[in-house]
Amino acid sequence: MSYFKLKEPPRREDRLQACIAHGAALGDLATRRLQCCLPNSERRFTQNSICLLLPALGTMNSIPNSVVLMHGGLGCGSSCHGGNAGVRSGNNHRWGVVKDGTWLSTGLTEADVISGGEPKLAEAIIAADRRYRPSVIFVVASCVPGIIGDDVDGVVEQVQPAVEAKLLPVHCEGFKTKIWATAYDAVYHAIGRTLLPEAGFIADKKSGKTVNLMNMSSMGRVDEVELERLLRELELAVNIFPVFSDPGAMQRMAAADLSISTCPTHDDYMLNHLQEKYQVPFIIRHMPIGIENTGKWLQDVAEFFGLGAKATAIIKQEEAELAAALAPLKPMFKGKKAFVSAGEFRALSTAILLAELGFEVVGVRAFHHDEFADIEYEKLLRITGTDYPLNIANCQPFEEANLLRKIQPDVFLGHMNGNSTAAKMGIATHVIYNTGLHYVGYRGAYELARRLYRQLKNPRFNGNISKYVKLPYQESWYRQDPFKYIETAGGDLE
Amino acid sequence: MSNYNFVERPRYTCALGGAIATVSALPQAVPILHAPPGCAGNFTWTQAGGCGLQVGGYCGGLSMPGSNIQEREVVFGGAERLEEEVRNTLAVMQGDIYVVLTSCVTEVIGDDVGSVVRPLQAQGIPILFAETGGFRGNSYQGYDLVLQSLFKNFVDKAAAKQPGLVNLWGITPFMDVFWRGNLTGLRRLLEKLGLTVNSFFTVDDSIAGIRNAGGAALNIVISDVFGIGAAQLAQEIHGTPFVSTTLPVGPSATSAFLSTVGAALNLDPGLVDNLIQAETKRYYNLLEPLIDCFNDMDLQRYAVIIGDTNYAAGITRFLADDLGWLPEVVGVTDILDEEQKNVITGFITNLASGIYPELVFHTDGSVIAGAVQEHWSKSQAQAGKYANPLSPAFVIGSSLDRELAKALGAGHLSVSFPVANRAVIDRGYTGYRGGLALIEDLISVIIAGR
Repeated sequence: MSYFKLKEPPRREDRLQACIAHGAALGDLATRRLQCCLPNSERRFTQNSICLLLPALGTMNSIPNSVVLMHGGLGCGSSCHGGNAGVRSGNNHRWGVVKDGTWLSTGLTEADVISGGEPKLAEAIIAADRRYRPSVIFVVASCVPGIIGDDVDGVVEQVQPAVEAKLLPVHCEGFKTKIWATAYDAVYHAIGRTLLPEAGFIADKKSGKTVNLMNMSSMGRVDEVELERLLRELELAVNIFPVFSDPGAMQRMAAADLSISTCPTHDDYMLNHLQEKYQVPFIIRHMPIGIENTGKWLQDVAEFFGLGAKATAIIKQEEAELAAALAPLKPMFKGKKAFVSAGEFRALSTAILLAELGFEVVGVRAFHHDEFADIEYEKLLRITGTDYPLNIANCQPFEEANLLRKIQPDVFLGHMNGNSTAAKMGIATHVIYNTGLHYVGYRGAYELARRLYRQLKNPRFNGNISKYVKLPYQESWYRQDPFKYIETAGGDLE
Repeated sequence: MSNYNFVERPRYTCALGGAIATVSALPQAVPILHAPPGCAGNFTWTQAGGCGLQVGGYCGGLSMPGSNIQEREVVFGGAERLEEEVRNTLAVMQGDIYVVLTSCVTEVIGDDVGSVVRPLQAQGIPILFAETGGFRGNSYQGYDLVLQSLFKNFVDKAAAKQPGLVNLWGITPFMDVFWRGNLTGLRRLLEKLGLTVNSFFTVDDSIAGIRNAGGAALNIVISDVFGIGAAQLAQEIHGTPFVSTTLPVGPSATSAFLSTVGAALNLDPGLVDNLIQAETKRYYNLLEPLIDCFNDMDLQRYAVIIGDTNYAAGITRFLADDLGWLPEVVGVTDILDEEQKNVITGFITNLASGIYPELVFHTDGSVIAGAVQEHWSKSQAQAGKYANPLSPAFVIGSSLDRELAKALGAGHLSVSFPVANRAVIDRGYTGYRGGLALIEDLISVIIAGR
């Protein structure tokens, strides 16, 4: 049975055997599908991370004419204050209009927890429909309704006839999964069940040259522009889904000739659905971050349309131009040690790019692991060697601090909210995810190099900080095995 | 409090968020969350987007330890997992104080956190806990609950009150984006009265000082709402009386504040009066060089003020009574009970200037924005080609009020959470100097294009 027939998608721990806790040398773990890393392996000491609600909101808040109605405690989704800057700039970059996202909370109180929140939710949906007149309302379930047993889908079904907006229930109960990439499935699930047409509905309208370029909120407009540029050189028409995509246009997903993933961690759930239900084939393999990776990504798309030779020529031209532009920057990078930490695919492809720029990669941390990254680990092993640490960690800065003290890299590249540990240790840092900056394609490779050149030219901010600001760890911790608290299938690593 | 179906873009987070803010602002403190993994990340992103670019601190953001509760613990209970987490936290994390905070999930499943924490307290470990499930209220309640826990479980009982020692709170770290500057501004004034000030959260505070808070002769709460529960509890447990006051911005309110404190402590009225005179004179001497341009450039504005209780009241009084602006509508976005609303109403309708703004209590900014438009339009007669729009105007609120300012063609300054469009380190608006800082900020917006 299709997952899309269920009320909510399965956890990635179950669907993909994804895991979040491991550490060893890269060569000992990579390409073996981390079989020793069980889906439910854990740490006996953990710091916090995020839950699937947060990345899900990143996409939902971007949707034009939408309202995001959080059903839960008053604080769930206050992270939207952080995402709102991206919504405002994203709207501005696409349409020249600065606009805030609209998110609401049912703000469940102690009394609601005792007597149930369903009546309040029903009233909130109706009131939100009247006040904002949106075309869709995402009705988001957070932890509390999941625990007290509110039937969010039931409320939606009951209220739908009374409102104009399409109601999309989205399940984001944070205690149900530690793999926050389940967020992407949750959002795609809601879109797939509500905004896509019946099977076969528009399959005959295919143009023969239209691609779905999937962007699940990890690329900013500047990166979309770079990929559109390359795809248009192949004379392909490009639809971008789902971020900042009008709900009414979502059904065009079903009418494309090919779907292309830009991050294999994001899209398999939807791409499989589009193929099964609407016969839209897909490519989910390389991430277009890095020089060789961008070429492979483009070549794959081109070959699907029988345009392989054309792509080869484009790639050759692009690479030559880029190499000339990078030549003056590369001496700064030669022999410098780089440590990378981010979402799995992004961390790996960025590490490969750093090797291409002349850095020595000395450490990699990935938020989780699943099978999609095996191909990327193969490349990394080939390009960088095998005997530096690989740490599968949903953040856990204490492990990172321990590793950084031992390895002493020259530069650290970390995900948003993941750079302060290295910064407080005086290491030059650069953010690996920021939707205002270029990362993707040939342009992304060049712009990243330019930014790293800047960081390395004057790393004094972090250097000064490190003399006076202390990390919150016992000195004895730095003498321990960084992976001391991880429990795996084979027993403790200790 | 329950007369809403939803809160639009809540201008606060939950009790747990406020508790995280509070603990992570204590000196060398380590919060330990008994929660699912996302609560910390949610608050971190909230800070990144709403707190003037201030995130974390010594042990904030994603470096906070947490039990990362999952379905297994929901079904079987999470106390055992918490016990393991706390034990390992003490081994890995360096803290002068550790505070376990509970969440919606762990309170609904009924984990007994006290049974985990109390044996450690008995061993002399500086650890305490607060029940801060998100459904208990907004961030200001979380702040109050942590302070209550401190006074109940951490602050030593003093044999005698120490004359001249006062505690100062009522300003919620991070949720008042200008918390450091606001606390420090008042702390420095009180020190000029010869007082020793324990303000818990500034860089001049220490855990030792907090331990001694029970010996204070007076608790000073800079709020009519936030932290009052802790003040009542401290009175009950430690016998310390308290005074509460609206955020004092500028000379009128700050002078009144100093008089209130002086009276409550029976200080020599001459001493207090001398400070008031000297500071007020200094304020106006500093303002003097602005007089030409302020008058020549017609810098008086109609004002719309939108914010939490502290800012709505404090800024309104300053603009009306000190700066001579014209507050027209004041929107208070907190969730308040009737008694609290009456206190605020009484304050804002008793301004020395006689200005009488329309007061709107609503959690939704867009309702307040609608009230602003309506307030002005209904009082204006249409007279041919002559119109009297609400202009020149200025909106002082949060970064979410930019849309209203744009619609009015008004200047805009973010002071109340969320403040997404300013970087804040130790700027503050309290006291005499705070009033001058606010004038600088307001006028800089008006003249930015010069």
